[in-house]
Amino acid sequence: MIEVKNMSKSYLRRHVLKDVSFTAEKGQITCLIGINGAGKSTILKSIMGLSPIKKGQILVDGQPLDKLTYEKVAFIPDHLTMPLGMKLAEGLQFMADFYTNWEPSRAEELMDFFQLDALEKIGNMSKGTAAKYNLVLGLAQKTEYVLMDEPFSGIDLFSRELIAEVFSSHLIEDRGVLLTTHEIGEIEQLIDKAVIMQKGTIVREFNCEEVRSAEGKSIVDVMREVYRS
Amino acid sequence: MKTGDGWDEVTFNNRDPVYLQVVQHFKEQIVTSKLGAGQVIPSRRELGALLKINPNTAQRAYKEMEEQQLIVTEGNSPSRITSDASILHTIRSELLEVAVDAFVASVRKIDIPVEELLDLVKVKYVEERSTEIRSDAGGDKYD
Repeated sequence: MIEVKNMSKSYLRRHVLKDVSFTAEKGQITCLIGINGAGKSTILKSIMGLSPIKKGQILVDGQPLDKLTYEKVAFIPDHLTMPLGMKLAEGLQFMADFYTNWEPSRAEELMDFFQLDALEKIGNMSKGTAAKYNLVLGLAQKTEYVLMDEPFSGIDLFSRELIAEVFSSHLIEDRGVLLTTHEIGEIEQLIDKAVIMQKGTIVREFNCEEVRSAEGKSIVDVMREVYRS
Repeated sequence: MKTGDGWDEVTFNNRDPVYLQVVQHFKEQIVTSKLGAGQVIPSRRELGALLKINPNTAQRAYKEMEEQQLIVTEGNSPSRITSDASILHTIRSELLEVAVDAFVASVRKIDIPVEELLDLVKVKYVEERSTEIRSDAGGDKYD
């Protein structure tokens, strides 16, 4: 379980996150939902130790962050972080050199699934192709948790469907996934838990099926309540 | 994987619990004989991938169906549709009742004598069935 406890953070006196607490369980897909600037990406970066926090605590399976966290949690950012001059295949090798939990067979499977050309240059990929490549880099690590920053943003409908397909496959099963999105649309049925954010705070955290059972509301319905009130 | 069992055309609404919609889909498949008594059903992982839903939801649907005795799981063998005729019969009446309730609810707003309504239903239903049978027969030739 990833636990975020009372996390606060500010840039230049502006509060970016205020007393944020939530959990993301293993074997579940948790979705951080919020409009642009709500603080979603900041939370992911803080969990990865890429952005310092002012107050609060982040625990992964009960342990505070250390260098071993990176073998346990994979981060899929919304932009390319690989050297642009490399070929896709060289990028995979680069990952294999750095991560002991890298699984080449899984990387190959994902490259095939997304129909990526291993000989292409990383810098020449379109935005959608780059997003798919980022997923390959993240999911081919045999980690217990995967964080994904806006995996669906700016991507065409068919590629979004392809990415959504990954979520119901063995590539995700039994891992804990924490993703951010501002367009919930086609992934409503895929997620277990929604955490709705507004202006750096968490306004609702709920199990999606429970809310459908008890209140007959979709995730979008709950979002509408939050953002219209 | 192409199964042709009607798994591809399932569309979910976002307001009803997904697991209950899955259960409902199974019931429809049983009543329309697309799933037979005792037939082996996909594993929870396969079902998740087929319907593009979370495997946890698939798991929950299977648990619900086990509680309703719609499916049976013995030891390590795969789950099957029940062979209990009385349960299968109950599902049929249940689905019929729900469909008729919905029909009655929408038709009640229009003030119509019951005989006239029944005649209308009869004409429409016979018409529908005959075109269905014709297209079925036509389909067989080309198979």
